[in-house]
Amino acid sequence: MLISALSLLLLITPAGVLPADVPGKPDQYELLSQGTRLVQEGMLDEAVEKFMQVPPPVPGEDAGVFVRSRMEAARILFSKKDFRASAGLCDEILCILPDNIDANNLARQIRVAETPEWLKFLKDMKTYLPTLVKATSMTLLLVFITMAISPVGGLFIALGRISRNKAVSSVFWFYIWIFRGTPLLLQLFFIYYGLPSLGITLDPFAAAVMGLGLNYSAYLAEIMRGGIESIDAGQMEAAKAIGMTYWQAMRRIIVPQTYKRLVPPVGNEFIALIKDTALVSTIAMVELMRAANQIFSATFNVYILAQAAIIYLVLTSIFTVSFRKLEDRLGVYENR
Amino acid sequence: MIELQGVVKRFGSLSAVDGVDLDIEKGQRIVIIGPSGSGKTTLLRMINFLEKMDEGSILMEGKEVGYHKDKKGRLVMEKPHVISSLRSEIGMVFQHFHLFPHMTALQNVMEGPLTVKKEPREEVHKLALDLLVRVGLQDKKDAYPAFLSGGQKQRVAIARALAMRPKLMLFDEPTSALDPELVGEVFTTIKNLAGEGITMVIVTHQMGFAREIADRVIFMDNGRFIFEGHPEDLFSDRMEHPRIKTFLQKVL
Ligand SMILES: Nc1ncnc2c1ncn2[C@@H]1O[C@H](COP(=O)(O)OP(=O)(O)OP(=O)(O)O)[C@@H](O)[C@H]1O
Ligand SMILES: [Mg+2]
Repeated sequence: MLISALSLLLLITPAGVLPADVPGKPDQYELLSQGTRLVQEGMLDEAVEKFMQVPPPVPGEDAGVFVRSRMEAARILFSKKDFRASAGLCDEILCILPDNIDANNLARQIRVAETPEWLKFLKDMKTYLPTLVKATSMTLLLVFITMAISPVGGLFIALGRISRNKAVSSVFWFYIWIFRGTPLLLQLFFIYYGLPSLGITLDPFAAAVMGLGLNYSAYLAEIMRGGIESIDAGQMEAAKAIGMTYWQAMRRIIVPQTYKRLVPPVGNEFIALIKDTALVSTIAMVELMRAANQIFSATFNVYILAQAAIIYLVLTSIFTVSFRKLEDRLGVYENR
Repeated sequence: MIELQGVVKRFGSLSAVDGVDLDIEKGQRIVIIGPSGSGKTTLLRMINFLEKMDEGSILMEGKEVGYHKDKKGRLVMEKPHVISSLRSEIGMVFQHFHLFPHMTALQNVMEGPLTVKKEPREEVHKLALDLLVRVGLQDKKDAYPAFLSGGQKQRVAIARALAMRPKLMLFDEPTSALDPELVGEVFTTIKNLAGEGITMVIVTHQMGFAREIADRVIFMDNGRFIFEGHPEDLFSDRMEHPRIKTFLQKVL
């Protein structure tokens, strides 16, 4: 308040010394049009000088020209980032016409422009974070559902892939070939936009779950196959030697031994999954990426994207730490 | 009890086991010796159906088991569940133990009766503890294999095989992967089993042990039995067979 009052005084003074009825007082219309011309010629400093020469209206006089010229000057000063002077002019106008829309808008813009970046960031955070967090819950839901589906699907496919039955094995080879060999984005498009033409219409959520589930099952299948094949053949022999069937041996002996070895590569897949869920924003799913993008398109505020990035980082970091803990826990039977 | 007749196993053009007859009577302790590559492991694996034989037959209590012939007269193994139940009556101990590393010693021993025979847990627990006492490892029951010495691992492996109450125990070089100072404890364990009347076929390169435990020794060479008889005859000075003589001179 004090500052604006001071600057008001300062700014009023040069023009204000000229009493309204002094002879030779420049015509306010003339000054306004001269100033406008100078703006058109690009001589901004001179234009501001001209605009400032328009005297304040005496009580009862129409304030229109004064307001317009001060407004022009304020805009020019704002564009030159002279926020204090610009704000002073706005205050000058608002003293006379407190409801002037232009002056109010410019004053707000100045306040925004003057706020430090970090403060702006925090303010935006307060405004948009609830929306982003809500969208994050959808991202997490997709992640957890995929994490529940894909190991089961992956194990099934892996076991099919290592089957000694050639036909079975090639069916699963084909599946893995398709889903690992094409972009996830394309698979999502196919499921959401392509399947309806085959008479299967899925809502975005179902399509997203299906796309992520099928894709990640294929990736996990290859990891699990590698894990199973890395177990010493003697384990299967020993299991068979005590009378186990192939499936008993798989369930009780072979697959459990892969858990610890699978944690790092599967953990990496799930970290990639957190980021890959962003792709379902393209099939009308509102999750973190899409929410951030929506706010961004409305505000052109890049900090929104930074906030989304931070949320993704928090999620991936939590996953990284958890999977390392899990790996240690599963390794209790190892002598290190 | 278990009888092999004319058993043949080929790997490509090589006959790893080349027409072998073997009659294993209840309570017998048969030791098979012979140079590396002579087919000893392959023979044991066929007795346990881990390897499919190409010719011959396996009889249990006088009945042919495990195979039938297809239209072209070739041997085909029976369905997996049939083979599994045959295997559950034969225990096998491997050179490299193959304990289940994710299970404790006790869990290793319990696994067969629990999963294969589906016996009640309390009973299996008691049986497994008894077996660990028998192999002298009651205090290691909760240890994971990675924390056991080689000799201890092999004794757990023996207990694991015994837990299925097999008719026959097969040992394939049970001490070959052990440090010399650990060999004794495993031999002692096997000798104790022999004292309990358990039928066993043992492949070993330890001639002293063979001589001590065997009531019948077989010398195998190039997939055939070139000697079969009492250990004292094999190790006696009267042994004239040149292959056996040079082999024994090398290992003794
Ligand atoms: N899976 C296989 N594929 C091809 N050849 C094999 C296979 N298993 C064994 N053989 C060959 O069959 C022959 C007999 O092997 P086997 O392992 O039975 O001998 P062994 O008497 O047990 O020898 P060792 O004392 O070295 O253990 C060897 O020449 C071996 O190379
Ligand atoms: Mg061998």
